[in-house]
Amino acid sequence: MGNYVPLTENDIKEMLETIGVSSLDALFSDIPKKIRLKELNIPSGKSQQEVSDVMKALASKNTVYDVILRGAGSYSHYIPAFVKNITSRSEFVTAYTPYQAEISQGILQAIFEYQSLVCIMTGMDVSNASVYNGASAAAEGVLMCRERDRNKAIILGNVRPDTLKTIKTYASAQCMEILEMEANDAFVEMDKLKELMGEDTACVYLEQPGYYGELYSADKIAEAVHSAGAKFVMGCNPTSLALLKSPGECGADVAVGDGQPLGLPMAFGGPYLGFMACTEKMMRKIPGRIVGETVDHDGRRAFVLTLQAREQHIRRERASSNICSNQALCALTATAYLTCLGKEGFRNVAKACVSLSHYFAAQLQKIEGVELQNKGEFFHEFVTIIPDKSEEILKALAKNKILGGLKLDSDRILWCVTETSTKESLDNVIDIVRGAICC
Amino acid sequence: MLLIFEKSQEGKKGVDVRKPEVKEYSYSSELLRSDLDLPEVSEVDAVRHFTELSKRAFGVDDGFYPLGSCTMKYNPKINEEVASLKGFTDIHPLQPEEDAQGALEGIYMLSQLLSEITGMDAVSLQPAAGAHGEYTGLRLISSYHKSRGDIKRNKIIVPDSAHGTNPASATMAGFEVINVKSNEEKGVDLDELRAVVGEDTAALMLTNPTTLGLFEKNIVEIAEIVHNAGGLLYYDGANLNAVMGIVRPGDMGFDVVHLNLHKTFSTPHGGGGPGSGPVGCKMELAPYLPNPSVVKYGDEYFFVNDPDSIGKVGSFYGNFLVYVRALTYILTLGKEGIPYSAKIAVLNANYLKKKLQDIYTTEKKRHCMHEFVLSLEKLKEETGVSAMDVAKSMIDYKMHPPTMYFPMIVHEALMFEPTETENKETLDSVADLLRKLHEMAYSDPAVLKSAPHSTVISRPDEVTAARKPIVRYKKP
Amino acid sequence: MSLYYAQTHEWAETEGNLATVGISDHAQHELGDIVFIELPEKGKKVVAGKFLCEVESVKAVSEIYSPVTGTVVEVNEELESSPEKINEDARANWICKIEFERVPESLMSEKEYLATLA
Repeated sequence: MGNYVPLTENDIKEMLETIGVSSLDALFSDIPKKIRLKELNIPSGKSQQEVSDVMKALASKNTVYDVILRGAGSYSHYIPAFVKNITSRSEFVTAYTPYQAEISQGILQAIFEYQSLVCIMTGMDVSNASVYNGASAAAEGVLMCRERDRNKAIILGNVRPDTLKTIKTYASAQCMEILEMEANDAFVEMDKLKELMGEDTACVYLEQPGYYGELYSADKIAEAVHSAGAKFVMGCNPTSLALLKSPGECGADVAVGDGQPLGLPMAFGGPYLGFMACTEKMMRKIPGRIVGETVDHDGRRAFVLTLQAREQHIRRERASSNICSNQALCALTATAYLTCLGKEGFRNVAKACVSLSHYFAAQLQKIEGVELQNKGEFFHEFVTIIPDKSEEILKALAKNKILGGLKLDSDRILWCVTETSTKESLDNVIDIVRGAICC
Repeated sequence: MLLIFEKSQEGKKGVDVRKPEVKEYSYSSELLRSDLDLPEVSEVDAVRHFTELSKRAFGVDDGFYPLGSCTMKYNPKINEEVASLKGFTDIHPLQPEEDAQGALEGIYMLSQLLSEITGMDAVSLQPAAGAHGEYTGLRLISSYHKSRGDIKRNKIIVPDSAHGTNPASATMAGFEVINVKSNEEKGVDLDELRAVVGEDTAALMLTNPTTLGLFEKNIVEIAEIVHNAGGLLYYDGANLNAVMGIVRPGDMGFDVVHLNLHKTFSTPHGGGGPGSGPVGCKMELAPYLPNPSVVKYGDEYFFVNDPDSIGKVGSFYGNFLVYVRALTYILTLGKEGIPYSAKIAVLNANYLKKKLQDIYTTEKKRHCMHEFVLSLEKLKEETGVSAMDVAKSMIDYKMHPPTMYFPMIVHEALMFEPTETENKETLDSVADLLRKLHEMAYSDPAVLKSAPHSTVISRPDEVTAARKPIVRYKKP
Repeated sequence: MSLYYAQTHEWAETEGNLATVGISDHAQHELGDIVFIELPEKGKKVVAGKFLCEVESVKAVSEIYSPVTGTVVEVNEELESSPEKINEDARANWICKIEFERVPESLMSEKEYLATLA
């Protein structure tokens, strides 16, 4: 049996004597006998070596693909060795929330740097210390726009399904109305949007790039939203922010997204991090932790958790969010990732994604019977229409240890190309796709 | 210490990626952003920067960390090794189920183990933290009542000793909150409870052991009162470490529970997250758990979606790598190690309490569970030295302070949770230190009031931070 | 001009139909360092004894209740950037002015109010 108790039998005997009881069980005398458990019905404990074997066997039942062309919310990127090495330092890993600022300056400063990086990328004024994931960031982002007489949100365009569902879950408990307005590719019918917005509209949520990789004229949408007196919430893929107009430049009031592409492994969906940023005006409405800069009693620069009066442990039943943690280690990972790549490296990642995905889309289109759903610009994801071939194409790729795009239906596949692909690997994929279509 | 932005110099390069061998694609300028002012530092500069930051942090690996209600136990290294296996880190959440059987099996196994440990019929691992678990659990309760046409049940009863998150989660889940006062023993006052339950009671939220580290002796009666009124019982699993394998929430009468894998099941806190807050429930509430759940047919595992589910509470399936760690831990401890760890956690807390209770005010008549609360009210009256001063002084002796000023019903509170992974020598030295600090409060209070003295900063000015918030770096 | 206090620690100085409203010295002392005040909107209708606005100190958020029923006609915008002024002098640094019709019976004189604190 394994456990991590560092006491000897003799220690236990001495300690029980000090307390003045005869046995460990005697300490539990407050628990009514009739509800006490006799024995847990689970396997006996094992040595670390045995458990290690069990877990390795479990891991080996999962297929690790050589080439990954699937995104849809989880992205395969190169993670520099620096990132894993730095973020596995045990002072970071095994620390709790930095409530005691004097011995937590390292974590607090890292979060402050993370917040600053999020502000730089999104072009916003204020960032929180992160929330659970992109979907919860979107839900919180929509909720924070509520005002007394504005309790409706419009979800515009093609939004990732998990995100939409999460927004709906959160909104329903707050009796917030959610309207969906579709977009054809990235084309938004502005008149229809204007008609849909009323005096009760709190915000409009748009993903840029959209679920199908499409790029919207976000600045024009922002203008329309603001003229209706509503707030504009943008969900972004952070890699795209290396190149594309920032939410701040587009006129967003709130910017959210999933930080997974910033150095976090796909890991079957988590842990990731949700980033959230807003304008200075909305600073006191943003949920979650925030780190601020101040000075100590001797005038030295210091970092602390601040604006805590917004938070649940102070507001209790008057809270407008119950988030009381952040994904600190994931935020540290994103900070390390952006720092080690730097201005140039990060732009190069995004450029590689864009160039390779556009090369791949162009090569696919050269195959007879392949059509692109995207008519306008896209980032590193796009959709092909190949009648009745989705299944065959993906199976043929899987045989070659390639994870193809995500099957949307029997005709349509959502592809994603990142810097992890090479021209050679993409050419190979093209050959396999061609083969699957022809035969 | 300088910020990374202040170390940045134009032209310095860090890590780069492969240049693609295809034509560069460019967007028209109206899609492009202006400058992106990320820091420019070399890799070695970055390594030194983050290494220095790490030296300004304090984790369980650095020393005693008795944060009450946070269960800062040792985070086994094997958990980390397992969680870094490529078969777990490099798999896409949307890859076909048949290519992720190990992941699904892991999720299934952990759900089963947690069901047995909590005495529940079904568990969803999806919530990403304790508060997220609370929210999810309360939404199950809401759906359950509504499905029965019982639409009047819109109130959640919360004791005044509860974590602040409880009422906040209840509000977010669309409920009204009714606070009930504690009795003299700091437990739920049964008469008061009888007076507030009724046709509008959705549930009572309870932490057991309570936030005072005492087992709620009347739990069976409490469950009866709430159930008889048609309400449900919600178990806040923050303090499960005291009783895991000894008594199960399900057997106490609870209908819904959330756990904190980052407390009870040894996964690291990472400076504030990621955690994981699985939710368990009785059969009647299972259809409402978040989608999807994992089922087993024959030897294969599948995702299924229930049409009655409350829906999604976040992306994909939650914090998968945290599950992997917790599963590793539970398999290591097994049916013997789990209750044994709980017993030692309780032993350690009682031992430390016993060594302090003659000079600090605390509950003496009853054994505490895994944690105990000291009140320093008397010390403060007599010396002016507050709970915060004593806590901050501990830092100078390479110990993390306990939880301060919680629960709110105890004045000048310090809440200690030593956990089962501390040895006797450490506990002895902690007791010696707290006795010494008690003496110093009378002999040399100024030293305590200005502590800590050995850290990179002294106490920060929180008032200025909140009045004139600086929450990001700005280029001068 | 008359000065009234509410049980919930607000003061109202009335002149004709105009009440200047703030929080009591006792209230600012109990709150500690005030870091932010969310001022009511001009034109807002308020009811005596009901929510007027919110004030934050470092570790608490408190609601301020309106001592009278009426309409907010002016707010002290200076407090937006310098909320600490309330700590310096809670009587001099008013929060808003409310046009009202009559003084609620529940309001007390300063002497009565101070007696409730003793």
